[in-house]
Amino acid sequence: MDELDLLKKDWNKPSDHNKLSAKDIYPMLLKKSSSIVKTLFYISIAELAFWIIINFIPYFASDSYKAKLDSVYTNEYVFGAITTFSYGIILLFIYLLYKAYKAISVTDSIKNLMKSIIKTRKIIKYYVLYNLVVAGVSLLIGFYYAFTHDPELTDKFAHFTTKEVVITSMIIVVFTVVFILILWLFYRLIYGLLLKRLNKNYQELKKLEV
Amino acid sequence: MKKELEHSFVELLEKHQNIVHKVCRLYTNNYDAHNDLFQEITIQLWKAYPKFRGDAKFSTWMYRVSLNTAITLYRKSKRTINTQDFEDVAFKIKSDAYDDTEEEQLKILYKAIHQLNDIEKALVFLYLEDKDYREISETLGISEVNARVKMNRIKTKLKTILNP
Repeated sequence: MDELDLLKKDWNKPSDHNKLSAKDIYPMLLKKSSSIVKTLFYISIAELAFWIIINFIPYFASDSYKAKLDSVYTNEYVFGAITTFSYGIILLFIYLLYKAYKAISVTDSIKNLMKSIIKTRKIIKYYVLYNLVVAGVSLLIGFYYAFTHDPELTDKFAHFTTKEVVITSMIIVVFTVVFILILWLFYRLIYGLLLKRLNKNYQELKKLEV
Repeated sequence: MKKELEHSFVELLEKHQNIVHKVCRLYTNNYDAHNDLFQEITIQLWKAYPKFRGDAKFSTWMYRVSLNTAITLYRKSKRTINTQDFEDVAFKIKSDAYDDTEEEQLKILYKAIHQLNDIEKALVFLYLEDKDYREISETLGISEVNARVKMNRIKTKLKTILNP
């Protein structure tokens, strides 16, 4: 007899083990889920909120920062365009995330459910990547602006030899890249841990199709 | 309306709870984890229930939600205190109908199945539940041919474990 048929015989025997009554089940309906989709949802909300705050709070909170920014963006249209673009990107990501979450269905096939969760995670990844690139570019522009427009710094910079200028610029670029890289690794770690099992199982399913 | 829905759901779950227990038994190693997974599957079933049209059998619908929760959605319980191991308790066959060798074989089989990966477990589970390859392939989201091939490989694997 096939090994599994032997098991089937035992498997389908009625079992009273752990049997629950309706009275046991009712309170279960009130408990909160702790699924990875829920965790992913909270992380994406936190992610959205975090970058929105980072991008906009300093502008509204500090008058001197606002004045400085205004002096950088002397052209009102450029500033308007950048603000509209930033809001547009955030709205786009909110829309994409909403759509991705709606597509996650527990009654889908195992493979499709995994696919839709991975897709959602990818959208968050792109959002983070976009923000990191913007943060990196802003940092570099910020440094450049400080060194060319800040009276104190330009004064110091004026005495620098070409070699010193090159070294300082390199340090700044390396600092920015390392900063962004550390943040990126941090994100990879969070999602890597959260979705380790899912990724493993998804690869397993994909292997079956080869 | 909500009360009615709740009532019909609990009634159906109570009747078909064995399916969920079997999934929990396959994917967990101890009682705490079993109960934790059962709880999560119940929540997922309940959340999806309003969309359950009744055009599919409740049990078939349950297979999908339960397996999806066990394989993908469930985050392992943070509780680390391992109570009694299942190997010795839940899978112990006490029926007199079995002779020693069969009992021993079953024990080894259950142990072997516990060592399979999540996807292989799902295949074995549906096979043990007497599902045909069409339903197995649809539940997993792979082709029927691939489901068959994989199932045969698992059978060979189990044979080797049992008859080294």
